[in-house]
Amino acid sequence: MTATRLEIRGLGKSFASSVLRDIDLQLGSGEIHGLVGENGAGKSTLINILSGLLPRDCGELYVDGKLYSPSNMQNAMQSGFSLAAQELSLIENLSIAENILIRALPKRTLLLDYPEIYRRSKELQALVGLDQLEPNTPLSELSLAQKQLVELAKALALPSRILILDEPTAALSNHQVGQVHALIRERALTGCLVLYVSHRLDDVLNLCDRVSILRDGVIVSTSESSALTTDTLISGMSGKALQSNGLTDKSETCSHERREFVERKPRLKVKNLTTADLPHPISFTCFEGEVLGIAGLAGAGRSELLAAVYGLSAKSSGGVTLIDGEEEIAINAPHQAVKHGIGFVAEDRKTQGIFTQQSLAMNGTITGLQKISNAWGWLLSDRERECTQSLIDRLLVKCDDVKQTIDRLSGGNQQKLLIGRWIHSEASVILLDEPTRGVDVGAKQNIYDQLLNLRDMGTSMMVVSSELDELMTLCDRILVLSDRKLVGVFDRDEWSQEALLAAAFSAHTSLS
Amino acid sequence: MLRRILEQYFIFISLLLLVVFFSFTANNFFSFSTFSTLLNQLPALTVVTIGMTLVLISGGIDLSVGSVAALSGGVIGIASTLLDLPLPIAGLMGVAAGLLAGTLSGWLGGYCGLPVFIVTLGMLEAARGMAYLTTNSQTVYIGANIQKLALPLPYIGVSASFLFAIGLVLVAHLLLTRTVFGRYLVAIGTNAKAARISGIDIKPYMMSVLVISGGLAGVAGLMNTAYLGSADPNAGMGLELAAIAAAVIGGTSLMGGRGSIIGAFIGVLIISVLQNGLAQLGVTEPIKRLITGAVIILAVCIDRWRSGAAVE
Repeated sequence: MTATRLEIRGLGKSFASSVLRDIDLQLGSGEIHGLVGENGAGKSTLINILSGLLPRDCGELYVDGKLYSPSNMQNAMQSGFSLAAQELSLIENLSIAENILIRALPKRTLLLDYPEIYRRSKELQALVGLDQLEPNTPLSELSLAQKQLVELAKALALPSRILILDEPTAALSNHQVGQVHALIRERALTGCLVLYVSHRLDDVLNLCDRVSILRDGVIVSTSESSALTTDTLISGMSGKALQSNGLTDKSETCSHERREFVERKPRLKVKNLTTADLPHPISFTCFEGEVLGIAGLAGAGRSELLAAVYGLSAKSSGGVTLIDGEEEIAINAPHQAVKHGIGFVAEDRKTQGIFTQQSLAMNGTITGLQKISNAWGWLLSDRERECTQSLIDRLLVKCDDVKQTIDRLSGGNQQKLLIGRWIHSEASVILLDEPTRGVDVGAKQNIYDQLLNLRDMGTSMMVVSSELDELMTLCDRILVLSDRKLVGVFDRDEWSQEALLAAAFSAHTSLS
Repeated sequence: MLRRILEQYFIFISLLLLVVFFSFTANNFFSFSTFSTLLNQLPALTVVTIGMTLVLISGGIDLSVGSVAALSGGVIGIASTLLDLPLPIAGLMGVAAGLLAGTLSGWLGGYCGLPVFIVTLGMLEAARGMAYLTTNSQTVYIGANIQKLALPLPYIGVSASFLFAIGLVLVAHLLLTRTVFGRYLVAIGTNAKAARISGIDIKPYMMSVLVISGGLAGVAGLMNTAYLGSADPNAGMGLELAAIAAAVIGGTSLMGGRGSIIGAFIGVLIISVLQNGLAQLGVTEPIKRLITGAVIILAVCIDRWRSGAAVE
């Protein structure tokens, strides 16, 4: 290894809880360094700190021996950082060329120099294998894979000493991946440090000189990639050796007895479901009183599956059938789903959950106004108050009064009330997308207890979560999606953190 | 609850202060005849503002109400003169014309999902054109019969139109605050996506609120025609903007989800007290408009400041 390009010393960051702790890394110039870890391990936080998007809490950064403390992305760029983000930073209404060169558009006096823009864009497009596209093509006409290559070209447009690539190949075909890798190697030969974050473990091992594994905000190991295999990476990420029996202790500490299903009654059937986002048919059944988990990496199609089941996104084929007693009812839109007793707690509380500036009573009863109104559609305020109060008592929502606005509640209490909505409307199936995102630890346990109580009373649930621990605490079975395919269904006695992870990675590790 | 009441009172207190101010500064402002005149000018703006407030709360907007009111007036004029239909029938036809226009806007904007701003802007032009076509661009004189609606009733000094408008204010207030329908409008206006996820089929609501607004614009056409005694195809120019101003002064948010019918009615009162009071002070038309504009912006500033304080 040559001279140290980037040094990280004792870096730490916490939001509600600690996200990164004691990160120490020394990365050489010309090195390709892999960074792997589960969802929520802290990879994105680390990248965001390096590229000046997030302030760090403690620790120091050095670039070429000089102290580096970026306060925004411009600082980072001036210090030679360049980032290709996973959440693409492109503008749909602009052309390819404008997107690629947006950080420094060539100008002639005051006006943009389009001939020069297109010439430079063509060069960069050729690098990433987009030479067949005209530089003035609007970005909106491109496929996701092409957009990803544009993002990469954008990161390459400025001369950089440190190139950070966050999942640069997630949407690419194998052929394109090979091309991108050749390009990365070429860059490294010129002395550029490349930090490469990917879920494609084979690629990481093939491409990178060294690999660091991040787990729960700590770097658990940094090794030469020649000494690693995908199995050691997976066990490193999950924190358990592969040969161990796998069953976590967590499931045994759970206070709720698991019921044995003597005779399982199906509640929700999904048959050959496909949507624009989920091209491969998915089928499964959720039983009465069952908590069905959906695991997978970011972008595996978990939320998309939940949205499709609820009728939020248009189905291309197949469908969802609710079994209500003997009757089978097709579900095509959210209001149909709700009418037949399906509820949904969306991932983003703020934009898809709460009604801001409205009262707790309004927020808690909106899904079941028939229960607080008479036959004429007249709202009964006594009934409204009673129902809301009983929800608040049952879910231990900390608040002053049912008439206060929901904005002043903490995230955890808001989330409880959103789940309470479906208790109020007596939903028999509740779909939950990341039910404890942004919720503190105490409230989290409380939410688990409430959900398990509901399950014990016969409510069926489908839970999407990035935290395997959460799924393993709550669920009776777990479906695993990988690259938008259903790749496995695990029962309690056959799952383990590493088995689930291996399945989640399966579409990305073509060899295993 | 207390804050709600205080918010209501805040607007009401502003109105009272305004009345007190003009009573001391303008001669003859504080008199039975001033109030009688003032209130009897209001019905058309009041009912249009009711519709506008409901639309704004649901997160939409209806720019077409002034033109639709003119179209309704035109239909009433032609039906009662050329076709020689009895006035009640003619009045109903006017309201029906408003409902029809609202249904068309509602279908395009609510069901087909076109932007409501553009759809009702189109309707603003189209309904005005229809009003000209119906009346052949002439003011249709109807006569004293229809004016009975707008004349002050003995003893109480206000017209039947005004009483009807007050009735509609109360009905709409109850509709908004005490029914499932109103609750859904608030939900949709606050957060359409969350409303959809909560199981509300939002399209029929987006549509029906525009149908209601159209129907009320039709009623306003009838009231305006009664006030003038004739159907003027140029009537109601800028009525939509006055209605939006009244709603906003009354605490309705253009972003949807927040507002009150009673507040909007007080907004109507504030605007007309201001205009009548200023006129009695001898303020010229340009200055009147300047002051009215400033009051609208001031109202939004105060509202922003208050809701900001509420969030803290």
